[in-house]
Amino acid sequence: MRLSTKLTLFITGSKLAIVLLFIITLPFLVEQIASQFTNYTLKQQRKEVLKNINKNGIVYYLQGDESYGSYTMLKEEFVALLPVSGNFKADTIKDAQRIVENDTLSYRILSETFKFENKNYLLEIGKTSASINQYNKQLQQFASYVLVILILLSIIIDLTFIRMVIKPLSKIIKSRLINMKFPFKFDEHPVKTSTTDFKYLDESLALLMNQINEAFYKEREFTSNASHEIMTPISILQHKMENLLAEEGLTESAALAIIEMMKTLNRLKKISNSLLLIARIENQQYHDKEEVKPLDLFNLIIEEISHRLEEKNLNIQIKINKDVVLRDINKDLLYQLIFNLVHNAIKFNREGGSISISDNFTTTGEYEINVSDTGMGISAEQLPHIFDRFIKSNAAENYGYGLGLTIVKSIVDYHHLNIKVESKLNEGTAFKVVFSNWKKAQ
Amino acid sequence: MKVLIIEDEKTMAFEMEASLKKAFYLCDLAHSFKTGLEKLKLNQYDFILIDLSLPDGDGLDLLKEAKKHNADAAYIIITARTNLKDRITGLDLGADDYLPKPFYLLELQSRMQAIARRKFNIAEDLLSIGNFKVDIKKRQIKYELEEINLSRKEFDLLSYLLLHKNRVLTRVQLSEHIWGTFVNDDYDSNYIDAHIKNIRKKLNCHANTDWLETVRGVGYRVKN
Repeated sequence: MRLSTKLTLFITGSKLAIVLLFIITLPFLVEQIASQFTNYTLKQQRKEVLKNINKNGIVYYLQGDESYGSYTMLKEEFVALLPVSGNFKADTIKDAQRIVENDTLSYRILSETFKFENKNYLLEIGKTSASINQYNKQLQQFASYVLVILILLSIIIDLTFIRMVIKPLSKIIKSRLINMKFPFKFDEHPVKTSTTDFKYLDESLALLMNQINEAFYKEREFTSNASHEIMTPISILQHKMENLLAEEGLTESAALAIIEMMKTLNRLKKISNSLLLIARIENQQYHDKEEVKPLDLFNLIIEEISHRLEEKNLNIQIKINKDVVLRDINKDLLYQLIFNLVHNAIKFNREGGSISISDNFTTTGEYEINVSDTGMGISAEQLPHIFDRFIKSNAAENYGYGLGLTIVKSIVDYHHLNIKVESKLNEGTAFKVVFSNWKKAQ
Repeated sequence: MKVLIIEDEKTMAFEMEASLKKAFYLCDLAHSFKTGLEKLKLNQYDFILIDLSLPDGDGLDLLKEAKKHNADAAYIIITARTNLKDRITGLDLGADDYLPKPFYLLELQSRMQAIARRKFNIAEDLLSIGNFKVDIKKRQIKYELEEINLSRKEFDLLSYLLLHKNRVLTRVQLSEHIWGTFVNDDYDSNYIDAHIKNIRKKLNCHANTDWLETVRGVGYRVKN
């Protein structure tokens, strides 16, 4: 889930929860407010009543009756006055029931005793509970509507804001991390953002990538320099052995010993050369703007190694489209790549086996070259490591020095091609190289 | 022929000298830019072998300077530098050939022979061996008047052996001459045997090939 979605969902969720809580507690709150307000109005009314009594005198209300009662028509409120004994005292506001004209109604009643002209009176002011709670429902409904609208509005605002705030993050990811080819080539301009954390992230990433690049370049330079430095001592040894071998009166056993040394030296030379080649490919020391016809390349390679096919009695089939031209590619490197694949197909094949070289176009419009053999195959554990340096595909037998496929991989990477391998032990191996830059020859 | 070897690795220079002396070249050594230039000013050489990385200067500069004093000599650059750019610059400056280290001494000699044939008009193009006649330039091998059809690699191999008559050439030396410093790290030299077998088969239909000798465990030799 995306960060912005997550944030929005969280914010929406938390808002909804709070609002829900508010709506649920609303009746209680409204009741509280209403009762507070009722108490307040009752007290206000009491003041008013006492003021009037003081002004008009109590007789004006009692008019000779035992008591005074005034009810509005709807029995919502009443005021009652009655003389009580001198030691009766009351000063309360409470809910109580009253029977008014045969109706039992529940009221909120303020009761207070007061003295007037040395007589004790009880004043009661009541308000029906029904009238107190009459706005509850509407209030709740209205509050809900307003809240829903507010939530929607705030979600929209949140979404826009989150998007805006998070935008630099996706830009950092896009420009720094996605589709990065090694060594990293990123644009040096920092991502524009006012968020300190993103600035920090961007800077840290740039720094990290620089460090990785530097380490990578150093390693490459080391490989290159080391292989290079080895060349002179190898030359010297090689020349010494050659001169020794050319000496007259050399015994056969001495000659054979020198040959053995030369073979070992040759191996060292080839490893060194391969490492240098890989370093040079990785340092991008090749021009890659050539156009190459794969069929020509295969014909050249087959001519080069036909005797080896005969030697192992291998059958080879080539089905390559003669009109395809690969573009933006270095011919020598592509030759090397395909040579190594064909070479492996021969080397790991069985006596009398076959090699099939074919091409096809993928549904996405890419061009694919397929080199498959009927050889010993590669085990599933080995398969992920075949492109690594110095890892032998078959440890039991001394098959090469493990750099042929590493060279293939560095050529593939250099040209941004794609290579796939499928293999079954004792059945064979198929390499597929996918090219996106190609055209039909005119 | 006179050769000047300008190479700061003394051991390497001595080995080159030893090998070239056996092939009857007269050798002179210089181990630095300065002594190299001095010798170039004093003497005329037929071949000048220049190492590019000298302790007191760049071989490419020396090459430029040398051309002024020894315009007719053949120049071969010898270096561990394998930059394409260096190679092109070297050849542009008038070098006749370029050998990356490490190379085989025999390879150097046959390059020198090739340059000599070209540059000094030495007619070594027609060689004869047994009852066969080989035209190196036209890349032809004939038995009496009949041309024998050898593949490209087979011809390369045979002519290389012929040019180093009476020397044993190892499989590795031969394969490196034919395929160069190559390609797959374990491209084996056994394929030389297959080529030799084919050459023998093709030539034996016409006359025997006793002169093409297998030296057990070592390699091959053309005997005179």
